[in-house]
Formats: sequence, structure tokens, C-alpha cells
Amino acid sequence: MIPASEARTILDRLFDRLPANATADARLYSSGWGTMRFAVGRIHQPHAEKLRGASLRVVLDKKVATATSGDLTPAGLRALAEDALALARAAPEDPKFPQFPGGSRSSTIDFSAATASLPIDRQARIAENILAGASSPDFPVRVAGVLSTGYEQWHVGNTSGRFTSTRRSIVGANVLVERLDLDPPGSGWSERAVWDHRALDGEALGREAADRVPRVRPGTAKPGKYRVLLDGPASAKLVGELAYLGFGGRGWEEGWSCLRGRMGKRAVAPILSIRDDATSPLSLPQGIDFEGTAKRRTPLLDGGVVRGPVTDLRSASRLGRPLTGHAPSPEAPGGEYGAIPTQLILTSTDQGSWEELVKEVRTGLLVTRFHYVRTVHAGRSIITGMTRDGTYRIERGEVTEPVVNLRFTQSVLGALSTALLVGKARRCYTGEDDRGNSSVSAGPLALGDFRFTSATVF
Amino acid sequence: MEELLETALAAALTNGIVAADARIVAPARAEYLSVRDGVPTALTSTTGSGLGVRVRTERAWGFATVGELTPSAARETARTAAKLARAAGRTTREPLRLTRDVGPSSGRYASSLRLDPFEVGREEKLALLTEAERGLHVHRSVKSGEASFRAWTEKKWFRSSEGSAYASEITHVGAGVTATAIRGSEVQRRSAPTSFGGDFGQAGWEFVRALDLVSRADAVGREAVALLDAPAPPEGPTTLVLGSDQLALQVHESIGHATEADRILAYEAGYAGTSWVRTEDVGQLKYGSPQLEIVADATVPGGLGSFGFDDEGLPARRVPIVHEGILVGLLSSRESAARLSLGASGAAMRAEGFHRTPLVRMTNVNLSPGDHSLSELLEGVNEGIYLETNRSWSIDDKRLNFQFGTEFGRRIVDGELGPLVRNPIYGGMTPTFWGSMDAVGDPSTWHLWGVPNCGKGQPGQIGRVGHGAPVARFRNVRVWGAGR
Repeated sequence: MIPASEARTILDRLFDRLPANATADARLYSSGWGTMRFAVGRIHQPHAEKLRGASLRVVLDKKVATATSGDLTPAGLRALAEDALALARAAPEDPKFPQFPGGSRSSTIDFSAATASLPIDRQARIAENILAGASSPDFPVRVAGVLSTGYEQWHVGNTSGRFTSTRRSIVGANVLVERLDLDPPGSGWSERAVWDHRALDGEALGREAADRVPRVRPGTAKPGKYRVLLDGPASAKLVGELAYLGFGGRGWEEGWSCLRGRMGKRAVAPILSIRDDATSPLSLPQGIDFEGTAKRRTPLLDGGVVRGPVTDLRSASRLGRPLTGHAPSPEAPGGEYGAIPTQLILTSTDQGSWEELVKEVRTGLLVTRFHYVRTVHAGRSIITGMTRDGTYRIERGEVTEPVVNLRFTQSVLGALSTALLVGKARRCYTGEDDRGNSSVSAGPLALGDFRFTSATVF
Repeated sequence: MEELLETALAAALTNGIVAADARIVAPARAEYLSVRDGVPTALTSTTGSGLGVRVRTERAWGFATVGELTPSAARETARTAAKLARAAGRTTREPLRLTRDVGPSSGRYASSLRLDPFEVGREEKLALLTEAERGLHVHRSVKSGEASFRAWTEKKWFRSSEGSAYASEITHVGAGVTATAIRGSEVQRRSAPTSFGGDFGQAGWEFVRALDLVSRADAVGREAVALLDAPAPPEGPTTLVLGSDQLALQVHESIGHATEADRILAYEAGYAGTSWVRTEDVGQLKYGSPQLEIVADATVPGGLGSFGFDDEGLPARRVPIVHEGILVGLLSSRESAARLSLGASGAAMRAEGFHRTPLVRMTNVNLSPGDHSLSELLEGVNEGIYLETNRSWSIDDKRLNFQFGTEFGRRIVDGELGPLVRNPIYGGMTPTFWGSMDAVGDPSTWHLWGVPNCGKGQPGQIGRVGHGAPVARFRNVRVWGAGR
């Protein structure tokens, strides 16, 4: 990690290279990651990395440009400043770009130094524990998954006097257990992300995935409308889709957000609330965003009622909305979605145990997780994807037989409008993002209506 | 650079490490310029340099990387990679087997450019984007327009303990425009030359000029607006003609990924998934109709998947994948080729930058042209649908059940292109779909597309790959409209 005193010196050096009529903000980041990727029962792609870099955004006569560099030597910083200035000089004006704010507050968050620097042998041992837990004595299995652990740290400064810092520690793991002696084969899945590795029991995680593996040959299920119980990974994925489709600042600016025009109106079932809260230990905590704005609890849906989009400096200014501290990383500036929520937490007034959730669904399907979810129609929040790694039939309030995977094509808001009950047991999920840049803390979710449009053969 | 590579290799070859390779990328540069609604939303320039070291014991791999080019960082990174390989080796007793391929001891490769995109003035690039973006706003329903440009260049040095060494310098560029028309909750996007950033190639600024975005913008804006009022397509099985860009995406998702040897070996099972193709299928699996000819060709000039040498040091190859509808080859590496007894590696191991380990990657996975003009393809169709330009894509983890939506569609009526349709979607199962292809467009309909955003691996890697595709006709495909 880069000590704050060194970071401040580097950022000051950068700002000193700018002409008097320029304003700027800059980020200095460092990260260290270890990844134990395993497949066919062994660690097959172990990975370690250490990276540092800086990004500089300059505003010169209302012209804005950003440059990033991995070279923090004096020559590298000089080149970085020159690059950003040259790009800004060529840019068209952005007359609405706001002034950089002062203030140097970073929210207090949880961080584990031990997790941030977990030794390679310890990482490998956790992966081995996952593999051991996933190996069932009853039938032959093939096990795959990943353990990612590490830290990210960034300091943010600007020419209005801001200097603030944060760091985050992360360990995320997932495990797939496949049973190939069935035709079609069956599989089970489990995943978890935490900021402190001591909260992750590798063997239990592996066992959990093995427990979800079908004991009998999966049957068929016809496409159509079902009541569903989405287990944690599937529930988190559905909620996470709203981050892009509903709460991104850019979608509100351009008018394609599925929630635009619904401020203060009910958009989903009143039992559901969603907030973004990177300060919560339920999420993967970070103290500031990439513009140095302190993270705080941001209500998005409150009792099913829309509370507004998240913003960064640019979108807050354009929308006339409060700054919520959701500036994306400089590697993705002004990306398709702009500012988006990154640490979502699903809560509910109606919570139940696993057994109560299954009983609530009564007749329907249990979905462990979704695969390859993509937007079909943003304005109507319609998405499509497949079920994967543990799809079961629910009959008479009990989980009965496994079924082959199905494709769904469904409006997110439509599905969440039929929410029946949310599981008490929650967990933090990062889905496909093993670095935890975004996460959803959620429990299983029972829904009254979910549309499956086709089936596959496994 | 050579000294630093030698330092890394020497430090790696200790205590149980039987082989190592090292890559330096210095520098990797990228530029991303985007203008939305007259305002630059992204003007970004990125530079980075660093080292990646991959080692192996008799049983396992290790990979470590650092964004610093000093002898001490090289030594420490190599030792870390060795430590990882030894730790990974604890989890298996099975020896690693590799093909015997070794690349040349002094190879060189460089992209062929007429105008280095990093030397072209940013004023010129931004002027082109601004004018093109302005041209999209043909109607008040066009609520948003975007014109964007991307370029990447990478200087790389590679050396392996087995004697392979090369240097390469590769540049990729691309650009595109997108108009977003909105009325109520109806959102229509139309892009050129295709969606998700446009078209890309291994070329210079001349490639972007040739895209002629300024001239195309007006039609793009008008089509976006017209789509707002178009009806949904008729629902049901029909004859489908796919435009070249959508067919390229179809090849990518349902043939390219499905024939990656590491997926077939279940190395990607926990993330992207496996494949419906089995280890014993090469030489006998019927993948599609006899008209289906697929070649993975890393030697095509100008392709995003073209290179001199892969990241195991092997020279680029042309590998037949499907011949007359039968699977005949795979995208492979030294390890996966050995495990599948393919004889030699397909030389398809590539890594993102210096900071990721090489994976089996698509090169330019091309569908060979047939001998029908577009009008000949349409001639035999009384009622059908023509679709182009991807809008959404989803496919299961074995690459069987797919569902794709496109930005643009027209009904085919009595052998001619008819009225527009809105939010068209088609879906099916991979072997059935390719089996239903009964006519393939001629070379005049074929284009080599650049796909700059192929995700794979953990930690995630973005790969840039190519797909040459003509237009083609498919019978009895399920088509419907989103949101009906």
C-alpha cells in the first residue's frame, strides 16, 4: 500500500505541473490480489498480482480529460500530467461540468489487514478446504471454482484541497460441484464474499455446493409462468440488475432508465427495500468513491417506493440531484451506465426461514443461480438468462425433484412486484465480479410470478 | 528488456520449477474518446508497463505479475509465481502434459499501419466524432447520440526457458456511432457499423476514416426513430436471414466459445462454463449443415485476432474448426492440445496485457463465404425475417440454448426486404440452428468484424478477437418480439 504521506506528496507533485487556469482531481491506487482458481479437482490457475497507478482528470477552460498511468516515477507523473493536458486542450467544452468539491472526509469502515495480505500457503489451504468439502462420498463429482483475496487502496485529491483515502479487504469464493454420472448431469453451487477471511469456512462452502447437487436424474419442466424461490445467488443477481437498469445516473439523464419518472412512486412490492451502503459490514466496505466523496447509506427503494438514482459529480450536476458518491473507476469513465450503485443491500418487512420460503412458493421452481443475464429491453427492465447449477421443482410446499435448466425472459420490476417473502439468512454475493467491485447482500427471495421462455437439455 | 526477462527466468527456475516464460509489455497504451450529445463524456488516455511470469512444476502452473520493471521486482515476481505453482501442485498427483511445440528463438511481428492512431492529432479525432454524433440528432425523438473511438497498442517482449523468444507490436483501432430514440418506455438504439462501440481492426487511423461515420450518422438516427413505430415481428418459426454482423456474434457465442479446448476440459466450468462439445467429438460431431465451414485463422491481415506469436511463443496458425458441417478442430494450447491428443497446439493462448495469465482464446474464427448474393438468399423466401446488429445476447453454460436480440429487423415478403420490425428476438439450440443453415452469402457479403470485449477467466480478462462472416439463411427458426 502507499502511505498517505507519500500519496499526498505524489498528488501535490501532479497538481504542481498544471497551469494556473486548470483544476483537477487525481487518484493514486495500489492493489494486491491472490487468486486460487481450481477446476477438475485441483488448483489449475493460481495468480498473484501487485499493481499501482495514478489517474488525473483535468479541467482546462471547461474542457475535461482524464489520463491514467502505471508509472509513478517523477518522469511518469510528468508524462501523465502532459498527457491529460494535451487531451483536454483538444476536447470540446463541457460547460456543465461542476467545480471540484473540497472536504476530506472518508467514512469509517471495516478492514482486515490479515485478509489483505493472506499468504499464498494460506490461500491454497482455503482452496484445498473448499475442494475437500465439495467431495461427496456418495457419488463421483467434478469440482471447480475460485478463491480471490486481496486489497485495494486509493487516495483521492483535488485542486480544491481535498485529500482523502480508503482501502478495502476482500475475500470471495465460489464452488461448482458437478455430478457427471447422471444423464443429464446435475450440479450444485455455493458462493460467498466477505471483507474478513475468518468469516469464510472453505469446507462448509464446498459442502453446501455438494448438498445442492441432484441425487437423481433431473427431469423436465415446461417453459411458462411459475412461482419461484430464488436462492441467494439468483436473488442477488435479480436485485443487482436494477443497479444498471434503474438506478444509474446516466439512465436517468438520457431517459432510458426503467425507473425514470417514477420518483416517489411504488415500483416493486411494498415488502422490499433496497439501499446502497458501502459503509455496512454486510457489504464489501469502502470509505469513499473515486472522486473522494464519502460513502454513506443511500436509500434506493423504500417500501417499494423509488427514492432516486445514484450520482457522481457530473450526473448530480446534470440531474440537479444530491451527490451520492458513486463515481465509477477512472478506467470506466462515462461508461454506458455512468454512476451506478455498487454495494446493494436488500431488506424486507416480511422475512422467513428457508422452510417458510419453500412453503410460501407451494408449487413452483427453486432456482440456485442465473447465468449469462443480459438486457433485452432496458426501458421495460426486461432481461433474459439461464438457470444454472441446481434448479428444482417445488410441489406441495416441498422441494422435490431436480429439473433441467430453463431460460427466463422477464421484467425485473415485474418480478419484484410479486415478491412474497425474503429469507432471513443473508449473504454478500459478488456474482461474476470476483474482485468485489460490486456486490449484493441478499437473502433468498420468493416471487409470485416468473416467466420461463424455453428449456435446455441439461 | 531481454535482460529483465532473463533475470525473471533465472529467478523462477528454482526448487521444482521445470519451465518458465516471461512477458514484458512496455508500454501498453489505450485511448478512448467518446462524445455524447455534443459533450465529451470520456476522453481517456492510459499507459501501463509491467511483467508477467508463468512457471510450471511437473504438476502445476503458477503466474505472478507486477506493474514495475526493475530487476528486484522481476526476481520477486518470479519467486512468487514459483511459490504459487508449488502450492497448486499439492492439489494434484497428475503430471502436466504439454505438446512439444516450441516457438522460434527470435521472432518479430508488427501490425501494418498507414497512420499510427496515437500520432494522429486528437483534434482531428474529436472533430470527426463530434460531427458524426451531431449527425445522429435528426429528430427530437433521438434523445441521445454517441460517437466513440478506441485504440490500443502494445509492445511486447517474450522469452521462455525452452528457448522461444519474440518481440511484437500490435495496434488495434475502432469506432462507431449509436443513436438512442425514446418515446415513453420504448427505447430504440441503432448503431453503425455495428453495436457496442462499432467495428475494430488491426490497423491505423485509416481504418476509422474508412468507416465513414459522418455519412452514416443521418441514416442511423432515422432508423432509430423509425423503429419506435415499427410493429413487433410475427411470432413463430420462420425463415431467418442474418446480416454479417449478427452472424459474426452467433459464430462467437455458439461456435467460438464452444470449441475452446479449455472449456471442453472443464477448466472454465466454475465461471464461463463448459461446452456441449465432448473431448471425443473431433472428427465426428455434426455441428451444422454441410454449408458450415469454420476456420480459426490468426494469420488474416487486419484481424483483431491476428498476431505473430501466441503467449506461449508459438507462431500464429490457421486451424480448421468445422468442415462441411463436421467438427474437425479446436482452439487449443500446448496443455489442452496434449490432453485432447490433438497433436499440436492451436497456438491460441493469449493474455490481456502483462498482468494476466494466458488462456485459450479465439483468434479470428471465421465462417467461410458461400456463393449466394443477398438477393439470391432472399429469393426463395415468401415470408421471413432479416435481422442485423446485436442488441442482446445470452447463451447457456454449454453453449446450447441461445437467445439473441437485434437492433434492426425487416420482414422478408415474397423474396424482398419489407417493413421494419421492432425489438426482434430469435432463439434456438446450437446444433439445430446451424443444421438449419441452407444458404451462405458470397464474398461480397463477407466482412471481418472486430470484437473488442470478449470476457473470460478469473481474474477477468478482456480479449479482442475477430470474426469474418457473410450473410446466411436459416430455416424454421423461432422469432418473436421483446415485451409483447
